[in-house]
Amino acid sequence: MTGHRGHRAAYIAFDRFPSAKGSAVHIRHMAAELFERYRGGLLCVLGGPDLPAYQREGDVEIVRFTEVVPNLLDRAQAFSAWVAEQLAPYHDTLELCHVRDPWSALPALGTGARLVYEANGLPSIELPYAWPHVAPTTLDKVRELEGHCLTAAGAVVVPSYVIKEAVTARGVEPDRVVLIPNGADPVPADLPRPAAAPGRYLIYVGAVQPWQGVDVLLRAFARLADLPDLTLVICSSVAPSRTRRLRGLAERLDLRTHWEHMLPHDEVAAWLTHAELSVAPLTATPRNLEQGCSPIKVWESMAAGTAVVASDLPVIREVLGDCGRLVPPDRPAELARAIRVLLEYPDLGRELGERSRGRVRGWQHARDQLSGVYDRVTAH
Amino acid sequence: MTPCAVTTGFFTLGKCGQMAVAGCPGCGRALCADHIAEGGLCPECAASRNQFGHPASAAAYRRRRYRHSSSSAYQDTLWYTSFDAFDRAAFDPHAGADQDYLDDGDDALVDS
Ligand SMILES: [Zn+2]
Ligand SMILES: [Zn+2]
Repeated sequence: MTGHRGHRAAYIAFDRFPSAKGSAVHIRHMAAELFERYRGGLLCVLGGPDLPAYQREGDVEIVRFTEVVPNLLDRAQAFSAWVAEQLAPYHDTLELCHVRDPWSALPALGTGARLVYEANGLPSIELPYAWPHVAPTTLDKVRELEGHCLTAAGAVVVPSYVIKEAVTARGVEPDRVVLIPNGADPVPADLPRPAAAPGRYLIYVGAVQPWQGVDVLLRAFARLADLPDLTLVICSSVAPSRTRRLRGLAERLDLRTHWEHMLPHDEVAAWLTHAELSVAPLTATPRNLEQGCSPIKVWESMAAGTAVVASDLPVIREVLGDCGRLVPPDRPAELARAIRVLLEYPDLGRELGERSRGRVRGWQHARDQLSGVYDRVTAH
Repeated sequence: MTPCAVTTGFFTLGKCGQMAVAGCPGCGRALCADHIAEGGLCPECAASRNQFGHPASAAAYRRRRYRHSSSSAYQDTLWYTSFDAFDRAAFDPHAGADQDYLDDGDDALVDS
């Protein structure tokens, strides 16, 4: 943009940044590693309310895509074209581009720089959940585009084994796919209790798409109505307009719930720390089973030393190991029973929490692994 | 003292807040000495003028350029031509899943 100095690195994501979502935490740490290595660089992300279209922070320039394009595919296309323009002044200096999606990968490939593709999800799997009318033939095209970008990358970074398999199924040689689990930085033990926190509470942290299973959790909580003074706290990473339906369900079920929306990330840790249990009720959809995910809320609950009750899915087993309580997905009665047992035996919960705290690695560990990937990709 | 109104920060954003010494002639916001860019503008206004001449023309410029740049901006733009009107219709705003459940808009493509 100002172009007085050639950027050597770019991090590009079709994500709003910063935001209250787990993806933003991930971008924060990965981009920090990239920009530290190259003493600055260019960050191309989506804009939003209160986010400036342009920022300069030391040697890092941040540019945000602000054009309003209603159709999602048109928007992705306009984003790619916009990114190509942002990168154009740096073709001679760019050494490494780090992307999270095909819409960012396409213009990055046009620069001739090395490409690291961080695959946290795959649009060909994810899209039908938000866009139910997408035709299989359309998804085939998306899948082909994904395959093109993934195979063109010098390395593909994935947060779980499940998605590693999905990536290799798209033609990427297994030795170019590197597993870097998410991290969570240790939470100080003496974080004060949030002022708005109810006495005893269970907590859910995250977004509210159907595959997150929040409705399953609400139905499970309805079966715990006999437990006195127990509240369910939902820390939604998305706006209140998106949780209206779930809040309606909670009301109909006559549940004691407390809702927080889009809390700044540094306030979530205190809510997690003081909870009796943290619940990750992911459903058994292909989205979770085939694509996988690495739910940052689970990592962060573990870092806070709070016991996790979660759906028994491969992606969750990978993260929790034997440090949490696993229950069959989509079964409110089973989830309620597991929660009840842990509440009745608080020593068990404390012990799980302590063990899971020890299992989590800080973000620095993930950054060190990423640094190794950069070494490899730029070495030849 | 008037505080500088430029947004700063990487993950946690806030206002700069240093003592303002001028106002941006483009958008009027208060600027500290560190945040006065070329032409006395705020960084945001300066960036958009450098690139597009005038901020209002930015979007039009981008669209125009996109149509004429199928090969010059980047080769791989051809990939998008494989998506026809039928493919695209499924991504119109009204075709989305229940709005109450949709993720927050723009980044609903991938959410880890
Ligand atoms: Zn201005
Ligand atoms: Zn300032």
